[in-house]
Formats: sequence, C-alpha cells, structure tokens
Amino acid sequence: MKDKDNFNATLAAATCALLGSAATPVAAEEEAGRWSFDSTLLYYGESDDRVQDISAAVSALRDFGDERKLSATLTADTLTGASASGAIALNRPQTFTSPSGRAVYTTAAGEVPLDDTFLDTRFALNASWSQPLARLYTFSAGASFSTEYDYTHLGANLSLARDFNKRNTTLSAGVAWSQDDVDPVGGRPIPLSQMLDVGNGANKRNGGESKDVLDLLLGFTQVLNRTTVLRVNYSYSDSSGYLNDPYKLLSVVDPLTGDTLVRVPVGQGPDGVYVFESRPDKRTKQSLYAEVKHAFGTPVMHFAYRYMTDDWGIDSNTAELRVRWPLGDGYIEPQLRYYTQSAADFYRASLVGGAALPRYASADFRLGDFDATTLGIKYGHGTASGNEWSLRAEYYQQNGSVPREQIVGNQANREQYPDLSAVIVQFGYRFRL
Amino acid sequence: MKKIPLCLVLLGLAGCAGVQPWERDVLARPEMSLDDSPLDAAIDDHIYFSKEASSGGRGFGGGGCGCN
Amino acid sequence: MQRPRIRSVAITRLLLSLALACFALTAAAADAPDPLDLAHLRGKVVLVDFWASWCEPCRHSFPWLNAMQAKYAARGLVVIGVNVDRERADADRFLRDVPAEFRIVYDPTGALASHYDLPGMPVSYVIGPKGEVIGRHIGFRNALRDERETELQKLLEAAQ
Repeated sequence: MKDKDNFNATLAAATCALLGSAATPVAAEEEAGRWSFDSTLLYYGESDDRVQDISAAVSALRDFGDERKLSATLTADTLTGASASGAIALNRPQTFTSPSGRAVYTTAAGEVPLDDTFLDTRFALNASWSQPLARLYTFSAGASFSTEYDYTHLGANLSLARDFNKRNTTLSAGVAWSQDDVDPVGGRPIPLSQMLDVGNGANKRNGGESKDVLDLLLGFTQVLNRTTVLRVNYSYSDSSGYLNDPYKLLSVVDPLTGDTLVRVPVGQGPDGVYVFESRPDKRTKQSLYAEVKHAFGTPVMHFAYRYMTDDWGIDSNTAELRVRWPLGDGYIEPQLRYYTQSAADFYRASLVGGAALPRYASADFRLGDFDATTLGIKYGHGTASGNEWSLRAEYYQQNGSVPREQIVGNQANREQYPDLSAVIVQFGYRFRL
Repeated sequence: MKKIPLCLVLLGLAGCAGVQPWERDVLARPEMSLDDSPLDAAIDDHIYFSKEASSGGRGFGGGGCGCN
Repeated sequence: MQRPRIRSVAITRLLLSLALACFALTAAAADAPDPLDLAHLRGKVVLVDFWASWCEPCRHSFPWLNAMQAKYAARGLVVIGVNVDRERADADRFLRDVPAEFRIVYDPTGALASHYDLPGMPVSYVIGPKGEVIGRHIGFRNALRDERETELQKLLEAAQ
C-alpha cells in the first residue's frame, strides 16, 4: 500500500465517489431494463521515474424503471514506482533498509530519496442502489470494498434527498462508514523509532491495524434559472485509528550543517539516522464545496470551489473550471484546476539531532505546503449507435515549499520539497446493451 | 445582533430562484447534470486523494429535468 | 439593547415576505378562456397529458396512453398530449422514436402550461364529462398503470 498513499486514498475516494454518485447519473435516454456501461482505461505517469499507474474501470448501470437503479463499478489498477519517502536529499549517496527488512536500497547523491520500488495491484468494487421512497424523496444505499496486498477497505453508505419548490431545490443528507485494515510489509514500525539494520525487526510490530472513518454530508442544490444550477455541500469527516503511513521517514540532521547524521550499520542497513513518521490517531475534516453549471447556448461551463480545514492544521482551497464546447459530432472540453494547501502542524522537513522528539512529525510531501495546477483537455465523440468514446489528457504539477524556520544549514542549497509533475492520459467508452 | 437563521435566507432565495417544470429543457441535457461523468469524477478524486491532503466534497441529487 | 434587536426582526420579516411574495407570484395562474376547446368535449372523459422531448418518463407513458386511447375511445375517452417543447423539431424527433396515437396540441410558449400551473413534468389531468378537473397525476410510474386504468374505467362508466 505504500506510496499511493492509500490509507485515506482508497477509503475516501471510494466513499466520496459513492456518496457523490448515489443519485446515479445522466442519460435521459436510458430505458428501463437496459444496461448502460461506462468504461475507462487510464495511464498516470510521474516524471523522474516515480509512480506509474495503469488502471481500468467499468461501471454498469441497470435501470429497473420508475427511477429504481442499480449501479456497480469495478476498478483494477497496477502501481509501480515510488514516491518521496520523506528523507531529505544529500550530497552523498544514502542507503536505507527496505520495508520488508530483508534488503537495502540506495539513493544517488543529490537525488530526493524515494520509497523502495514496488509493484502493487489493487481491486475495488462499489455498488449502489437508489430508488424513490415517495414522489419527492430519493433514497440510496451503497457498499464499497477494495483490496491490495497490504490494505483492505470495507464501507457502507446511506443517503436521502428531498425535492422542494417544484424540484427546483433539493436538500440531501448522507452518511458513510468505513473500516480499513492495514497490514504493512515487514510490520508496523513504532512511530519515531529509528530505521534498523537488515534482519532487525525490533521496532516493527506484526499484525494489522485498523482505521475507521465516518463521513457526513449535507447538500443543497438549487436551480437558479433555465440555464444554471448550483450545488453547495458541507461535509464532515472523522477518521480514527492507524493514520500513519508506515513507509514514510524523516531524516535526523545535524543542527549546524543540516545534513543527515551518519550511522554505521552492522552488516547491511541504513548509513544515516532515519526515523519513521508519527501522526495523530484521529483526524477531523470539514469542507464546504460549491459548484455551478451554466449553459451559454450549446456550450456548458462548470465551475467548482472547495474549502477544506482539519484539526491537523491543514487548510486547502481548490478551484476548478471546465468548459464544454460542441465540436462536430462530439465536444471538446478544456479543464483547469488550481489547488493550494497549507502544511499540517506536525509537518517537518527533517528532525534536528539532539533536540527533543516532537510527539508527531511527518515529512510526507502530501501534508506539506504546496500549490498544484492541472491543465487538461478532453475530447468526446458520439457514435452513430448512440455510444460515446472520449480521450482525456492532463498535466499535473505540484510545487511545494518548506517553511524557512525548518531549513537547516546545507538544506538551503538543495531541492527542499519533492516537487511532482505527472501526465495523465485516459480513454473512455460509454455504451449500451 | 440576533443571527438571522440561514434556513430563512435559503428559503428566501429558493422562493425567488428556479424555473417552471415545463422550462427544464436545458437543464435536462445530459451535460447539464451535476453528476454527468461519475467515473471521471471518481478517478480524479482518487488521483488527487493520493497526492493531496483533501478529498471529496461532491454530493448528489438535484438539477436535471426534474421529471417524475 | 433595543435597536439591533428591532433591526434583525425587521430584516427577518423582510426576507419572509420576499419569500412569500416569490412563492405567491409563481403560484398565480392566469385566468384564461378554454385553450383546449374542452367545451366541445363535454360528455367525454378527457386525459390531458403534458409532455416534452426531454422528459424521459414520457417515453414510457406514451405506450400506455396509446393503449388507453385505443381501448377506451369507443367508451368516450379522449387523450390529448400537450407538448411544451420550444422547438417543434424536438417534438417531431421524439414522436418519430415514440409514436403517439392520440391528438397532440403544441404549446411552445408555455401558455397552456402556465394556465394549468403544472406542478411537475410529466403531468396528466383527468377531466370529467362536465369539464371539471377530477384528478391529476404528477410523473409517470409503471407501477401505477393498473390503478390509473381502473380510475378511468370508473369515470367512463359513470359518464355513460
């Protein structure tokens, strides 16, 4: 489960996707008793030999008539590569013990250390049922499941929506629960314990740990006029249990030079002092999300904004804009997304040797201070039989910074934050049987 | 100053905004649905969730043709 | 303190009256003469169904309306479909896919829809032999077909 950082990834993505797709989508042309499918093949590739992911997903929707719908989505993805482990780059090569504790891997001088390379395959299944309870009430229930070799997720969700004002206004409420089990390769490291030599599992604990998440969502949708619709959602999310990334590290550095303290391994092992990260065992997030869809003639514009804040000290702002223009038998849709987040209170670029260990510390770039921009374009084309294929290409760039007071000595001369850039290419096909 | 209940403001807005049921032709177009690409949305959510500290926010229901 | 409290009460009252005014305006139905010419249909049971090309449930209601018209025409049932599409071409395209075997009236400006102040789409009004609106069905559900047919049978019998 390493990188892909999927503790929260699988969980929240599955949960939120499920909450988000509870009132199943589209197709004014769907007929009762017919199956409609949406499939996609995706390639995600980061620069500098970091993470590469290929995934395939198929979504099936069956309409039983009278607004009763069953939908199921199956996703499979294969991840290779690694992302920044949290250790800092140095002018000399660095050696680390692999998570399994059975081998070592090295990082070249001047390079940002990445987790040990791995290959991981994940399967996920989401299913949901929605139906009216009375003319103006829509009810939905769903379940989600995903598995990869060191992580399993199981979740359920319920939601209810009620229309008002001749269906111009909709109020909705949803709740989702999930329980995830983490069983890291090589065992769970004791938080803030030092990385030990090959074969030494003294700081690792066997057996899995779990994480429980509760999500609540309140939604308000309002038709503003004949060509515009607005939606505003408030979400509350509470995670508790094992929230650490068991593979992420911090370098312990010299207070003057800022270079990682040297360590001499007995046999094979790390040649520097590295400790495993530690995060709180509870996290509460709240977010406010608003989106607008507006048609100006045939083209349609979509704008969304989300503000998130949590008790780890992270605040984020996201803005997204897409405009769909008709083009021949299809459409072209440029997309732009801008994201910015502030670092977690316990984010540390590195730990200073000799200073007292903080209670929580993490150098995981995903908890740092960064801006990210996505630039993309999608082209869709309808076929004569009413099916549609589409192609989407995106470029994602993340640029972060470390607070000045955390930069020690020589760190100022090196890349402090492992900036990330990735290319995403996606092919989609929607069809009916 | 006593706080004005948000629900009153929303109801006030809701009473004024909106269209008649027979004027929902544009809203009924598939691309005007707020959930028109759930698979794209799920994939995006998953990617951003893996690389950033925030997630989700999208909800469900409302808009569209308002039929039935 | 007296002043801030009065101000907030006044604002609350203003918002409430604004909301009520908006609701009232949208609910007001214009008084108009009989646009469907129902006067000539006295003695018959008339089923007026408002539909549109963009209304997905209408694809399922038409086969049922066709069946009702065919089955009960001799007993005095008249089905009228009122189309509210702005563009005639959209309505025509729908009718090519889903043919109608009953009379179609076109209401592109929505005048008739406003007159009836439709509560939703699709919506059917059942009009009795004396020209009065007896029933109304919002939406079309397959599950309610039998019940609605029974309702029509009873009305047709009473009208004989």
